[in-house]
Amino acid sequence: MKRPSLPRIRIPRPNIPKPKFPEEPPPGPTRPTFWKSPLRGPWLSSIIGSALLPLIIICAVTGFLSHAAYNPTLGDNSFFPAGGISVNIYFFSWPTVPTFLYAVTQGLHVISGVIAIPLLFAKLWSVMPKLFEWPPLKSISHLLERISLALLVGGALFLFFTGLLNTQLYYPWKFSFVPSHYYAAFVFLAALALHVSLKIPTIRKAYRERGVVKPLRDNIEHTTPEPYVEGSTTPLKPARPTISRRALLGTVGAASLGAGLMMAGQVIGGPLRKISLLGPHGIQQSDGPNGFQINKTAESVGIEAAETGDGWRLRLAGGKEVKLSRDDLLAMPQHTYDLPIACVEGWSTTQSWTGVRLKDLAVAAGATGASEVLVESLQAAGSFNKATLSSGQIDDDKSLLALKVNDVDLSLDHGFPARVIVPAAPGVHCTKWVSSMKFSVA
Amino acid sequence: MVARFRNLYGASPLHLMAVIASFLIATYAFTRIFAAPGPISTMTFFIFAIFAHDAIAFPLYSGLNWIANRSIGDRASYWMAERRVQPVNYLRIPAVISAFLFLLYFPLILGLSASRYEKSTGLSSDVFMGRWLGICAALFTISAIAYAIQVRRASGKARAEDEALLGDS
Repeated sequence: MKRPSLPRIRIPRPNIPKPKFPEEPPPGPTRPTFWKSPLRGPWLSSIIGSALLPLIIICAVTGFLSHAAYNPTLGDNSFFPAGGISVNIYFFSWPTVPTFLYAVTQGLHVISGVIAIPLLFAKLWSVMPKLFEWPPLKSISHLLERISLALLVGGALFLFFTGLLNTQLYYPWKFSFVPSHYYAAFVFLAALALHVSLKIPTIRKAYRERGVVKPLRDNIEHTTPEPYVEGSTTPLKPARPTISRRALLGTVGAASLGAGLMMAGQVIGGPLRKISLLGPHGIQQSDGPNGFQINKTAESVGIEAAETGDGWRLRLAGGKEVKLSRDDLLAMPQHTYDLPIACVEGWSTTQSWTGVRLKDLAVAAGATGASEVLVESLQAAGSFNKATLSSGQIDDDKSLLALKVNDVDLSLDHGFPARVIVPAAPGVHCTKWVSSMKFSVA
Repeated sequence: MVARFRNLYGASPLHLMAVIASFLIATYAFTRIFAAPGPISTMTFFIFAIFAHDAIAFPLYSGLNWIANRSIGDRASYWMAERRVQPVNYLRIPAVISAFLFLLYFPLILGLSASRYEKSTGLSSDVFMGRWLGICAALFTISAIAYAIQVRRASGKARAEDEALLGDS
């Protein structure tokens, strides 16, 4: 079928000045002869990128789930500045089953993040010549792409290192970790989505020409440079290889795996915790019933033993106000469950907790079928001295106000006289040194 | 029309749409960062993160690699190189793994947050430097043993080849 020919309209060509750079790059890294490594090339960058991408996806998904686990729409649970669309994307209430849910999602978040860092460095090394490509700006699209790459690299290193430093309680900055880490993820993922979609043709070409894993079969004698293509990362004048591609990737992979196993040790726990040599919570305080890991000791948040003595009362509010002593609580029906306590920093430990069901406390407060409860701690200040739990969390049989752990009274550092333990909830929502619980009925 | 756009922009209209979508999300995120506590600090760290690898880490590790290659790298001929065991990777591989472990755990290893860590967790952070050094020592020892085995094997093979050559003449 013939298309009807339209009258051609002449649009005057806008005169956009193009940046002018000398044809010949200045001496140094902008010259294609500067880069010698025979290993660099689209295949190498593609294979590292292909390893990184699933790790980043796991890290991103578990990261957003971690935020959802805080039930950010309830009470003051959200740490974010007012406004924005952030909270509205969390339309579901965090479940209480399986009990190890948060231990798994948050463990995966931290482990995948740690594993990704050495691979990210290898990726950045493999594309170094691109930073110095000549001319530095070819077109508007090229300029925008380079800006996006700055957001990609900056976002990646910002995210991975703020997360990493947070697990080691090192805060050399003045911002608040949670919102900055969370919103930097938006910047990073938006730039990553653009980068991956723009690079798909390059990746496909590299795999088609060289095979996906075939170059990994070459030992050093058979390691040859990828053919030189102008504007790619392949070297114009390659040096003789001093290491094979598989040995390079194996070394980086070993570093990733080693660091990842150390983080995994403190997530899985048990005898595996011993391999967590450099893990921040790889060490056990003692072998006793209260010897397991502590996120914040009583001393660090200013809890004094006197506040937790005989004068301590749990204030319940709802339909009526009730004050209960620890003996009153012990006189109520006691239940025991093995539940993990899982920290946002990625470590977890399963212990046997004994205490009163939260739903029994709701009844005692005259708030049967409560829709939420605000749990407050004796802790005067600090980010997590209170938390709001959902109706699902109150209703679960395994949600306790724990008085004992492993058949003995809680130690002061583990929240004596009473602490919350809710299955699958983040550790920071399992409030310690509970002073009051305010139930609301919808 | 598309050709003209391409000529002006340097890529397809789809490229521009993808870039705009990506930048809009980034802009939204930055406005939220500026609504959160410490935006200047966040931006300082973000900009530092853009340059951290390319301007600091890369010159450092490629300089060290250059020194390693210069001092113990292969300068022999191809023929010799095939017979000689190259020592450089027996140094580089444990060094790279040790360096990454340091990069991933430096706050604990150097005790940068020692007082906060000890107060919060009730644990001592003194152990981490020793553990890291122990891991480094183990990696370099394994590497040295592997090198020694390779050298022995290669020299045995070379001697056999030399004897075969001498026998022929």
